[in-house]
Amino acid sequence: MTSPEDTDDTEGAAASVIYVYAIVPADVQPEEDATGIHDAPIEIVTHGDIAALVSEIDPDHRLGTSADLQAHARILDGTSHVAPVLPLRFGAVVSDRDAVINELLAEHHDEFASALDELEGFAQYMIKGRYVEESIVREIVDESPKATALLESIRGQPEELTRDARMALGEIIGHALEAKRETDTRITLDALSPLTDTVTVREPTHDEDAVQIAILLEVDRQDALEQTVGELAARWDNRVTMRILGPMAPYDFVVRPKPEG
Amino acid sequence: MTTAGGPSSSSLADVIDTILDKGLVIDAYVRVSLVGIELLTIDARVVVASVDTYLRFAEAANRLAIGSEPKGLSDLVSDVKGSGSTKSKTKGVLEGVGETLGELLGGSSGGEREPAPRRRQK
Repeated sequence: MTSPEDTDDTEGAAASVIYVYAIVPADVQPEEDATGIHDAPIEIVTHGDIAALVSEIDPDHRLGTSADLQAHARILDGTSHVAPVLPLRFGAVVSDRDAVINELLAEHHDEFASALDELEGFAQYMIKGRYVEESIVREIVDESPKATALLESIRGQPEELTRDARMALGEIIGHALEAKRETDTRITLDALSPLTDTVTVREPTHDEDAVQIAILLEVDRQDALEQTVGELAARWDNRVTMRILGPMAPYDFVVRPKPEG
Repeated sequence: MTTAGGPSSSSLADVIDTILDKGLVIDAYVRVSLVGIELLTIDARVVVASVDTYLRFAEAANRLAIGSEPKGLSDLVSDVKGSGSTKSKTKGVLEGVGETLGELLGGSSGGEREPAPRRRQK
């Protein structure tokens, strides 16, 4: 995915390029000491009603350390507390500040401005649930006579003699986990439905993920979200560990605006 | 703005899940390049059932049985409430709840200075 056309260092002394974090309303103002990727000061480039949060970056400096990712997320999520944010994908740079205006803000001013209007007062929250391995595996074994029998058959036996039984048992557990994930995701979606209908279910990124749901919610309703997820956490105590992340930038809800004819 | 505290502290794994491949792609709009991104190791972004996974699940099940007959859920629950032998488990539960609540309240990063932008007063 990288485009290594970094051979343009012949054109003058372009020592640094501009990393773009997000599009925000023009009245957003960075804290004086706010820093972003590689500790560069955060600047704002405004055009009309909208602006871009940017910082200088050395084009030769490779991006992608955990600190880089976290700096990107920190700027976007921090901003989402106070203003609507259109997040840019990690790693986006333009050549200079003029290019931010000429190539990004000016050209898409109205689309961005109306998207920001729509987002006013809203932020993304992630609702994450992770199965407690011991509990969920026990639940699955208890529900499946076949799994129980397989477990009996491997208990106390050397691993190399029971590989087939282990595979069979693991497969049962794997499939059962998938089914449980589906059920528990649906239960969570039902619980969230009074709060918002702007919801994205993410694919699991861990074997024991129970729930990974992104929602767009009015930040004023965060209390209600906490209550809803708290009830699920109590219901699934020692079975699923529930977490809420956010408010954060609406990563899962920005799509390229359709060009209007 | 009535939000209390900062965002919940996201682990690196959370951040990776959240920001990779998401957000406006500006090179679809304009001529820009993505800085050569040298991503740190990301294991198993998409869960794929594999031999390793199955063997791991089997091992997790096998561990359940160590030292005792497999139990039903109700046994487990009474165990947690009753005997001292499962103290660590009980503690784990409490910590889990605490963590959840802490994150719900967004308290974990409350002490940090928020370096992010604020909004100008209109």
